[in-house]
Amino acid sequence: MKGAVDKAPFDDVAGDISPHERKIPVSTGFIIGFALTAGALLAALISFVWTPYDVESIDIGQKLLAPSWAHPFGTDHFGRDVLSMIMVGARNSLAVALIAVLIGAGIGAPLGLLAAARRGVVSEIVMRSNDVVFAFPSLLMAIMITAVFGPGAINAIIAIGIFNIPVFARVARGAALGVWEKEYILAARTAGKTQFEISFQHVLPNLFGLLVIQAAIQFALAVVAEAGLSYMGLGAQPPMPSWGRMLSEAQTMIGFAPWLAIFPGLAIMLVVFGFGLLGDGLRDYLDPRIRQER
Amino acid sequence: MFLIGAIFVAGGFESACARDILVIGTPLEPPNLDPASGAAAAVDTVVYGNIFEGLTQITQTGEVAPLLAESWDASPDRMSYIFHLRHGVHFHDGTSFDAEDVKFTIDRILAPDSTNAQKALYQPIKSVEVLDPYTVQISLSRPASELPYVLGWGDAVMVAPESVATAATQPVGTGPYKFMNWRRGDSLTLSANDDYWGAAPHIRTVEFKFIGDAAAAYSALKAGDVDAFPNYPAPENVADFERDPRFKVVVGASEGKVILAINNRKAPLNNVLVRRAISHAIDREAVIDGAMFGFGEPIGSHFTRSTPGFEDLTGKYPHDQARARALLTQAGYKEGLSLTLRAPPRPYARRAAEIIAAELGQVGVHVTVENLEWAQWLDQVFTRHDFDLTIVEHVEPMDFGIYARDDYYFGYANAAYKKLYSEYQVAIANDERSALLRRMQETLADDAVNAFLYQSARITILRNDLNGLWADMPVPATILANAYFTTDAASPARQGKSSSGGAWVGWLLLAVGAAILAYAARRLGAASLGARFGAHAATLVAASIVIFTMVQVVPGDPAAYMMGLNANPEAVAALREQLGLNGPLLSRYADWTLGLIRGDFGTSYTYEVPVGQLVAERLNVSGPLALMAMAFSIIIGIPVGVIAASRRGGAIDTALNALMQIGVALPNFWIAMLLIMVFSIQLQWFSAGGFSGWGNGALPALRDLFLPALALAAPQAAILARVMRSALLDTMNEDYVRTARAKGLTRDQAMWRHALRNAMIPVLTIIGLQFPFLLAGGIIIENVFSLPGLGRLVFQAIIQRDLIVVQSVVFLLVLAVILAAFLIDIAYVGVDPRLRSARR
Repeated sequence: MKGAVDKAPFDDVAGDISPHERKIPVSTGFIIGFALTAGALLAALISFVWTPYDVESIDIGQKLLAPSWAHPFGTDHFGRDVLSMIMVGARNSLAVALIAVLIGAGIGAPLGLLAAARRGVVSEIVMRSNDVVFAFPSLLMAIMITAVFGPGAINAIIAIGIFNIPVFARVARGAALGVWEKEYILAARTAGKTQFEISFQHVLPNLFGLLVIQAAIQFALAVVAEAGLSYMGLGAQPPMPSWGRMLSEAQTMIGFAPWLAIFPGLAIMLVVFGFGLLGDGLRDYLDPRIRQER
Repeated sequence: MFLIGAIFVAGGFESACARDILVIGTPLEPPNLDPASGAAAAVDTVVYGNIFEGLTQITQTGEVAPLLAESWDASPDRMSYIFHLRHGVHFHDGTSFDAEDVKFTIDRILAPDSTNAQKALYQPIKSVEVLDPYTVQISLSRPASELPYVLGWGDAVMVAPESVATAATQPVGTGPYKFMNWRRGDSLTLSANDDYWGAAPHIRTVEFKFIGDAAAAYSALKAGDVDAFPNYPAPENVADFERDPRFKVVVGASEGKVILAINNRKAPLNNVLVRRAISHAIDREAVIDGAMFGFGEPIGSHFTRSTPGFEDLTGKYPHDQARARALLTQAGYKEGLSLTLRAPPRPYARRAAEIIAAELGQVGVHVTVENLEWAQWLDQVFTRHDFDLTIVEHVEPMDFGIYARDDYYFGYANAAYKKLYSEYQVAIANDERSALLRRMQETLADDAVNAFLYQSARITILRNDLNGLWADMPVPATILANAYFTTDAASPARQGKSSSGGAWVGWLLLAVGAAILAYAARRLGAASLGARFGAHAATLVAASIVIFTMVQVVPGDPAAYMMGLNANPEAVAALREQLGLNGPLLSRYADWTLGLIRGDFGTSYTYEVPVGQLVAERLNVSGPLALMAMAFSIIIGIPVGVIAASRRGGAIDTALNALMQIGVALPNFWIAMLLIMVFSIQLQWFSAGGFSGWGNGALPALRDLFLPALALAAPQAAILARVMRSALLDTMNEDYVRTARAKGLTRDQAMWRHALRNAMIPVLTIIGLQFPFLLAGGIIIENVFSLPGLGRLVFQAIIQRDLIVVQSVVFLLVLAVILAAFLIDIAYVGVDPRLRSARR
């Protein structure tokens, strides 16, 4: 849906606010972001032990009830409670996005470190293969990947994860190149440490803040990507509720049951919004330390 | 802004014209138009009775009637038939229809390399003999009293040797309508045949619009983009259409039987007790109510109510959970069991699957639902029999012969049933046939072969003033000859014309490219330019290998997909050979890439036209859509970013920042849904989907793209605004800006005069990369609005396993991205002289 366009603005994670114009480290945005993400996480966790109604039981007699005290978000065409489905759907959205980003960071960041440590051929290979992945329209490829492996949450994770690898590799490499210029790295090298040891003991800790910020941003994008795949029917399969699929099912009922389209869409928006704010807030908070060390 | 105004104005000018154009919505696009080769019901839906006619026809009530044969005589032993042909019948190309054409058509069906999906039905035919130009004799190898009936099917319509070669793309038949043109992925147009032998059709032009998505079907009707939608896929909207005075709803019968098919080969499902337990566990009424919103009649066997000898067996397995549990215990599954249900991609199947999974869960049968695409379903379920349960509609009438086939996907093997069926095939007297049919359906019900769910209703939604379309559907078809409008009011449904792209565009692009390269070579030096070019070219080659490899491992056989449900394996193998799917990998890769270099992208398997042509057609939609979205995102994004930066830290900045954050967070398909809800359904300012083409002028086309472009642009505008803002703030800290301020300029003056220009560099990068990504990235939006763009082409091609289209289009999209990156690379150097030497 968005692809590289999403990545580019965030490559420049340190550029938004200049140090001397900085205000309070913990902003309102950060608090709102934190509250939204914590809320989503909480809803997902609570859904493991309690939901207002069972999301797997179908009761045709209760179908398409408008929002009321009994069903705050209404019921769907099978008589299932929309609020309960959104709670359980949060599990799916957050888990898919989290694991996909972890895959991206777990593979991408070490690749970036490697490319920074060993210039020349290795770096060239890593960055070239990054370019290849970047050249693919991401949503289209995610759709192809799920077509190859079949639809489902796990394949959605793989599809989204693959496109996170080059993002983290690029961010990690760019920042690591700067760290390698530092005196303490020179000291470590003269102390006889290997490139591998230096990368993970000295360079990586310095990149940590940057990677966390990037992760928050990628997380937000991954939630949208998961919703897109689910919307196309390629994400988590029924009876597991997913926000994207709820939206696609709502589409024919928009005329007489708008609540089916409004609430899942709001859920996606608020989570993505929340993580975006969280990422910005973290940047404000973590950035000065990174800047000073440069 | 001017553009937006112009688009709004354009709505007012729809010219009044006589009602001789009919636009029909149909859920499935036919893969090709030859009804007697790789047949799918979708082909018949368009061509049967309209373009092509058979010797006999199946009437609205499901009976056999004369058509191109005026009459026929059967020998008493039903071993031979003589058909007397109608005189004065001509094909659309002017050649006359005679006995030689009949012989040619039937020989073609029976030829060893024939890909006719219903070949088995015509196997009893031994030979066809031309007695005189208007008389043919068909000799059989066994008595077949069903011959006139099966000759009325869409698979046996008459073709001529002179024109059959192009039947897939340019069908030539004897029917009341002639083929006009086909805009793939969007619509197909027929026009009245002035030389028709029968009564002339009332309506001059008929356009079939392909709208697969239930939501898009709804909005297309509401927006007046289509006049009628037979086989309407979303029963939940029926009540809504009944309330709307502009429409009428016709609910007719069909021969479709929706069944929960059970893999009879596989334990524990080979145990009749388990199958009976499943039948008892299902509440058919809940399925009909939940999946079909009440449209459908329960059935107790694989027989519809209109079949001779029909018997209502729905009482045999009443919904009874205790009984189901008891049967499971008796079968030795007291603890329950786990099964998988693989559902094909139709709304009825997906919904019924969820309901049945929940119902079976209540008796201890844990069901995992797997939703498959058609190609996967055909491959795994239909061909390889790798499934426990599935849900599918069998649309062919009187197709109980499938229960006598050992190789059929649900694997029912009962000698007693086979005996009954072969007795039925040779039986002549009607009483005897009905009696046999009764015993056959009882056997099927007794063995609980499948869980028989319901006979589907055929829902047709049509404009109030449209009459004469068939309500019932005994065979897959849309019979148009009798359709007429009762009013002469202007049709809101607009007719699309095909637009042809000129070759000059290619030359222009080439010239621009050459100019850019020449400029870059001068500024950079040839060596440096060559190195950059080489790097991008290497990426492209690597990407082509990745694409090719991926496409090879996509499961699902394109040939099997194209042949449809009842295809026999030989026909599938013949088609594979024809498509060239059997060659070695390396040589196929070489063929493909060499073709690409020559500008030959291959030929689409499904549409049988060059991929280049398909892409050009789709680019006419995706290109302008991406450009329009880009324009919107620039018009909105840049000013917002600049204002936010200039008011940095203030209330406006905070508010705009929040807006940008929300904008980035909005999934574009959700915006699209909200836009449709407000502007198409409520206000009816814009059509809710579809694309009328560039043939009617630019304004109607731009109007169709307005909402999609807006939905696509919203998140992009937010991103652009953020980049603009942060780039501007960054440059404001540069030394030269500080100098300018020290010189006495105000903050705003410094920003406008010095910072803005330099801040544009990262912004231009984003804009440059936006275009190729919008080109492919509209895939979901194109689906929501049913636009025939590139994204939807690829998505459909993936689903239909039209692999050559997938690999070529993905390659082109990658090429676009790499080209954009290369141009940005060069542009950087042009803008920023510091980068000229040794930039990494």
